[in-house]
Amino acid sequence: MLLDTITLVLRETLEAGILIAILLSIANIKRFSKRWLWAGLAIGSVLAYVYSINFDGVSEWLDYAGQEVLNASMQITVAVMLMLLVAWLIFKIETLEPAVPFVLAITVVLLLTRELTEMFIFYSGFFQVHEDWVTRLNSGITSGFIGLMIGVSIGVLFHAAIRYWSDRAANRIQITLLSLVAAGLFVQATQLLMQVDWVSSTSAVWDSNWLIQESSIVGQMTYAVFGYEATPTVTEVVGYMGIILCTVAMLILSRFMKDKSEISHAN
Amino acid sequence: MIKVIRLVCLALSLSISSVSFAKPPIIEIRIKDHLFYPAEVKVPANKKVKLLVINEDPTPEEFESYELNREKVILGNRKAVIFIGPLKPGKYPFFGEFNMSTALGTVIAE
Repeated sequence: MLLDTITLVLRETLEAGILIAILLSIANIKRFSKRWLWAGLAIGSVLAYVYSINFDGVSEWLDYAGQEVLNASMQITVAVMLMLLVAWLIFKIETLEPAVPFVLAITVVLLLTRELTEMFIFYSGFFQVHEDWVTRLNSGITSGFIGLMIGVSIGVLFHAAIRYWSDRAANRIQITLLSLVAAGLFVQATQLLMQVDWVSSTSAVWDSNWLIQESSIVGQMTYAVFGYEATPTVTEVVGYMGIILCTVAMLILSRFMKDKSEISHAN
Repeated sequence: MIKVIRLVCLALSLSISSVSFAKPPIIEIRIKDHLFYPAEVKVPANKKVKLLVINEDPTPEEFESYELNREKVILGNRKAVIFIGPLKPGKYPFFGEFNMSTALGTVIAE
């Protein structure tokens, strides 16, 4: 049980930890105050609790598709927020800067709501089975805390790795990572909609489990950072590539605009 | 132009009708004492299948599979619907994430 709980909590915190680390690195470079983070963590935790106590009703919405549709909507919204950040980082639009902390906060709120709900539900079941506080504390809370701390530590390391580079290089790393995470979230949302037959599913295009086993620690890390899927369908591949191409198009456009403004300044 | 519009309408109506009328087979899986029954689920290969997962335990469980790319939380004494496939012939393990050491099963597509 101890290892099961550590693994479960770690899996849930890993993705959030890595994304929050990227967002924090952006905020630190831009010298934003941390209010967006505290607000995001607090509101996200409350919403996750509200979602978990209303989970029964939500699950039965839309002919048992409510859970997937709500979670997919949250993931797509987070992906959109991340792409807005990517656009802001690429085009360096200063007038939009006051809105960025709101985008960061919304991202954290939705991310936490999604990830924490599952943990609240898991612990509600755990406490239902283990009524004595010794087991609750030893097996549930302590092992959950270990999983949480491993997830947070990986996030801290990730943040330090981004901040190690110069601001210019960090900007490129942030753009790349945000695009990959957004693409991964889009793939996850697509899978949820396939699960309830809202999006048509097809056979997997390839199986790269021989290269990176999706269930392994490396598989979970690459899933959290790059949205790695060992057996993606055509829809997922097209969606993933579409988001990456959006970033590439924005980069080309910004270079084109920069060149044009340099020429007009020279004239 | 009108011909193209007619063709598009025809294609759309055909796709909608195939969604509405081609109902996938329903396969029932039960969760009891943190175990899946049956633990081996046989499904037709290359066909979409609707899994009806009934959790008979009082505690919640999460049906999860990396190979099937599926994850769904099912509260205690509740049921859930999960569509899988079309799957190539083979074995696709699944597990209960809240009880990983006991709740284990395999979908066999053949």
